[in-house]
Amino acid sequence: MVAVLGRGNELITLDDVSKRYPNGTDALRDVDLEIDSGDFVFLVGSSGAGKSSLIRLLIREELPSSGRVWVDGQDVVRMRHSAVPKLRRRVGVVFQDFKLLPRKTVAENVGFALLVTGHSGEEVREETERALALVGLSQRREHFPDQLSGGEKQRTAIARALVSRPKILIADEPTGNLDPVTSWEIIKLLVRVNELGTTMLMATHNAEIVNALRRRVVHLDHGTVVRDEREGQYAA
Amino acid sequence: MRRLEYIGTTAAQGFWRNPVMSIASTFLATDRGLQAAVGVLESKVELALFLEDNARVSDVLALRARIEGDPAVSRVDYVTKDQAMARLVDIAARRPDIQIVDTSSNPLQDSLEIKLAHAQDASRVAASLREEIGKGVVSDVVDNPQVVDKLLTITRVLSIGGLAVLAMMLIVALFVIVNTIRIAVHARRDEIEIMKLVGATDWFVRWPFILEGMLVGALGALAATVVVLIAAGPVMGAMVNFIEILPLSFGTTFVWQLVASVFALALAVGGGGAMLSVRAHLAK
Repeated sequence: MVAVLGRGNELITLDDVSKRYPNGTDALRDVDLEIDSGDFVFLVGSSGAGKSSLIRLLIREELPSSGRVWVDGQDVVRMRHSAVPKLRRRVGVVFQDFKLLPRKTVAENVGFALLVTGHSGEEVREETERALALVGLSQRREHFPDQLSGGEKQRTAIARALVSRPKILIADEPTGNLDPVTSWEIIKLLVRVNELGTTMLMATHNAEIVNALRRRVVHLDHGTVVRDEREGQYAA
Repeated sequence: MRRLEYIGTTAAQGFWRNPVMSIASTFLATDRGLQAAVGVLESKVELALFLEDNARVSDVLALRARIEGDPAVSRVDYVTKDQAMARLVDIAARRPDIQIVDTSSNPLQDSLEIKLAHAQDASRVAASLREEIGKGVVSDVVDNPQVVDKLLTITRVLSIGGLAVLAMMLIVALFVIVNTIRIAVHARRDEIEIMKLVGATDWFVRWPFILEGMLVGALGALAATVVVLIAAGPVMGAMVNFIEILPLSFGTTFVWQLVASVFALALAVGGGGAMLSVRAHLAK
């Protein structure tokens, strides 16, 4: 366990992080960022600004070219490969394209996250029911993804991300494929999840949502943090 | 539907895999059988002169004295049919891979075993002795060195050529299994991606594919074993007719060794191939 820099309440810390891909693209440049436990943070910026690259660093799908990354007190850059699964169990992730398994029911998709991390059948059932109740999908538990609306698919994905009770929920454009009304339902759900104690980091293009919620906004532009405001606005 | 397709693909490729393992185990069995036969023949003499059952002792002794008079001959031993059988039983007792199938009768004959000073004289001495056949004393003359040489050559060719074929077959089997598992991995790439995302360990992702590879390998080994066990009898029979030695069979120990070797090989190739197939998906 590596001590976290700073004040001691940070769940995520990026220290002078840069990421350059082999093709020469600079996705992130000298990024410093601290996210406290319990925060709700919007990560905004145009396509290619570096939002997804930053998220990939947090779940160690990528390593930075330079700089350090800490998540929940762990040095993500220097951690052993064998420690990565434990990191990912503490960080729930939701994507724009849901990433649901089409041959599994809603309950099976949600329980899958526990099943593959070695939990007992009883734990899987109990935690799956809890997560489904949280996202309001208990009645749809036996449905398959192609029988669900876009909003229900995203709620299933959120339930799967939450079922292992992560400290952090990262949502990468979670409303990107949804209509405005459904988008608001998802945002309300994420706000509720945050109020229950889960730290939220949400990458989005949706200025209306960002501006309405008035939460912390971190604005990335060409891989650099150009603005970081407590109750920010997003002028897309 | 995808599962059915997968099962179908696996079954089709099993047909490729089974002959590979069959050839590998057939090679192992044949090589072992030939080496056993060579061992038996090597313990025999350079020339064997088989006597008629009703040959008179005085005639045999006279013949023996005449043979001993040949400067090319270094020694002549009289071996009764019982001694010959006892010797064979003794050899079989020391070699767990050889079993004498039937000891109720003794098809051997009394014989004169002739050691030559120089092996190259064998054919000349044998030719002169063959002139005695049909005169009431000598029933047959066996020029064993030629058989031994032939067997040694066959064994050598089988050992070197067979090992090369075996190596090629293993590479083919590995290639086939790697591709089979790669198809299975590709079909389940979304599942693997999600497993990795939610924190499944590499081994958790890897094991089902390794087991699948081992199962596929084991099915091939099972088919190979059945083929070899069914074919072993007729093949050994043909060898006995061709080489003219006593009926031998594979001992139980050898059969188990063969089965264990083939299965170990198949499981290693299956599991190893599967690990290679999954590796690329676990790199992240």
